[in-house]
Amino acid sequence: MAIKKHKDCYFCANQLDVDYKDTRTLRRFVNFYMKMLPGSRTGVCAWHQRKLSMSIKRARIMALLSHTHK
Amino acid sequence: MSKTKKSEQNHYEMLFIIPNKFTEDEAKVQVTKVEELVAAQGGAITYREYWGKKRLAYEIKHNHYGYYSLCEFDIDRAAIAKIDNDLRLSNDVLRHQIVVAPVLSNETRARQKSLSEKLAVKKEDNEKKVKTNEEEVKKNSTSTEEAINSSKELDEKMEGILSAKDLL
Repeated sequence: MAIKKHKDCYFCANQLDVDYKDTRTLRRFVNFYMKMLPGSRTGVCAWHQRKLSMSIKRARIMALLSHTHK
Repeated sequence: MSKTKKSEQNHYEMLFIIPNKFTEDEAKVQVTKVEELVAAQGGAITYREYWGKKRLAYEIKHNHYGYYSLCEFDIDRAAIAKIDNDLRLSNDVLRHQIVVAPVLSNETRARQKSLSEKLAVKKEDNEKKVKTNEEEVKKNSTSTEEAINSSKELDEKMEGILSAKDLL
C-alpha cells in the first residue's frame, strides 16, 4: 500500500463543527488510554485540532469522556 | 475600532448534570428550576434539550449516573458570573458548564444532526462488516471451542463426584 502523504481534515471534509457534546466523534481522536492524539496522527488541520483539543477537555469536565482508561 | 464587543448581549450554551438522588420526574423539576434561575437574571432561553439519564464517564461525588440537560440563552455578560456562582453553590446541580455558543438556526442544527447521524451509521456498517468477517473466522475455529466446552463439562462432573464423596 502506498503511504498516505496527505490526510484530509475530518471536519473540513464533512463540513462539521467540532462539538464537545458529540462524544462519538471525539472518541475517534483519543487513543485507548483516552489521551488526545496529536495532529500528525489525526490528520485534522491545525485550526480544527485546536478546537478539538478544547472540545475534548470540555467533554472531560462534563464527564462525557473519561480522563483515563480504567 | 475598539477591541471590546459592542453588544453586551451574548449567546451562551449551558450543559448541566442533575444528580442521581432525584427521580426522573424530580429531575425535570430541577431542570425547570435552573432555567428559571437563568430567566431571573434576564436570560432569554432559545433552545432546550433534555438528554435524560446517562452514565457518567467517571464517578462524581459518589454518583455514577446523572440527568443531563442542555439549554441555550441570550444574556448579559455580567450575569454569567452570578449564574455560575449560584449553580456552583447549589447541591441540586452536580456539575455545569457555560460556553459561548454560535447562534444556530434550526435548519443548520438539523443539517448537522443528520450529517453526524449519517457518519455514525456509516461507521456502524463498517464495524458490522468487520464483525461478520470475524464470525466467519470463528466458524472455522468452532472445533477448538467444542473441545474446550467438553473439558469444562468434565471438570464440572469431577467436581460433582468429589463433593458427593465428601458428603458420604
